[in-house]
Order: sequence, then structure tokens, then C-alpha cells
Amino acid sequence: MDQYHTGILVGLTAGILAGLAFVVFLFKKKILDTHFDERQEQARGKAFQYGFFTLLIAAFAYGISDLLLGRWCDTLAGVSLCIALAICVFAITCILKDAYLSLREKPRTIMTFFALLSAVNLGLGVMYHISPGLTENGLLTYRAVNPIMGTATLVILLVYIVNYLLRPRDEEAE
Amino acid sequence: MKNLRMKAARAALDLSQQQLADAVGVSRQTINAIEKGDYNPTIKLCTAICRRLGKTLDELFWEE
Repeated sequence: MDQYHTGILVGLTAGILAGLAFVVFLFKKKILDTHFDERQEQARGKAFQYGFFTLLIAAFAYGISDLLLGRWCDTLAGVSLCIALAICVFAITCILKDAYLSLREKPRTIMTFFALLSAVNLGLGVMYHISPGLTENGLLTYRAVNPIMGTATLVILLVYIVNYLLRPRDEEAE
Repeated sequence: MKNLRMKAARAALDLSQQQLADAVGVSRQTINAIEKGDYNPTIKLCTAICRRLGKTLDELFWEE
């Protein structure tokens, strides 16, 4: 392994560890929580199912596109696209069934967190787009992972907000 | 089918959906879904609701 690839490996490992540490911190501070009621558990089970099949179909479609069109992105970017699509399907299904946030999670805190996550990832995407570029020789590189995930969190955030705004108000007054 | 008996029992105690939900440990949307007939609760949740509303299972959930 040359110096460039070692750098990528170390960077990815550090990023994943930092991300995990941050998630553990959010759980310790009770910002994230996994206490769902029985209806939510049932709805989330269905959403997992949809997300899982989306991942299967997306991975297959990615493989087929690679075969038919030739290489258009590196593997990490392709896999990230499939994962982001599956996460979006899971999250949107949960949101539409009122099962995305647990009983103790505060919507405003979580959505602010999502907005920040989108802004950081999309900001990195713009930065990479300027220099050194999201593509190399016409191939979407691993640098596209940030904007892909940023777009996914932005989609989830927008669906959550639209769903909240369109929800019938009379339900809450009952 | 809508569960109007549960809604009436809750209203009789002057409880909001949120208050009943907090008392039985579920989300407000779950109470709303039960009252609208969109969700069939488990027996565990049914008994918790009955206890809080001071009704029997028959009175709230038995369908003739």
C-alpha cells in the first residue's frame, strides 16, 4: 500500500471512529434514544423491510450500470449512493408513519442536528468540487460520499418538515 | 373501525391524547391511531389504557 492509500485508510478510520464517538456522546446526553412504542416498532419493521429491499435493488442496479455503461464512479461512491438511497427510503417511510423519532427525542434538536449535518457535508462537497474535484478522469470519486450523505440528510429533513406542516392540525387539539 | 368508546372515556376524564399517551408510555400518534381505528393495540397496551381510563377491556375494546 502506497502513502496515498495509507492516508485514505487512516483518514477514513479516523472519520468513522470520530463519528461513532459522536453518536455515543449523543446517546449518553439522551439526545438520541431508541425507546419506541409498539406501533412505532411495527412501522419501523416495515420501513426496515423497504430499506433492505431498496438496498438490494440499488446494489443490483449499480452492478448492472457498471456492466452496461462502464465504470462511472469508484466503488465507495457507488456503495454510498446505494446506502443513502436505502436510508432515505427507511427514514421517509418512518416519517410518514410517525415512527421516525423515539418517544424521548426532541424533534427540534434532531432536525437542527440534521440541518448541521447536511450543511457540513454539502459544504465539503462544494469544497471538493472546487478543488481537487469530485471527479477524476470522468469517474465520480470517494470524495462524493460527503455530498451524497449531505443530500440524504437534507432529503430526510425536508420530508420531515413538509410532513409536519401538512399534518392535520385538528388531531393535536383532540 | 373508529374506537369512539375510548375517545369518549378519555374525554370524560378530561384527558388529552398526549396526557393519555404519556400515562401509558406511547406516542400521541399511537393513541390517535387507536381511536381512529388505524392501529390494533396489543393486549398489554389495551390493559394499560383501560387501567388509566378506569374501564374494562370489554367496555373499551370488545366489538359486538
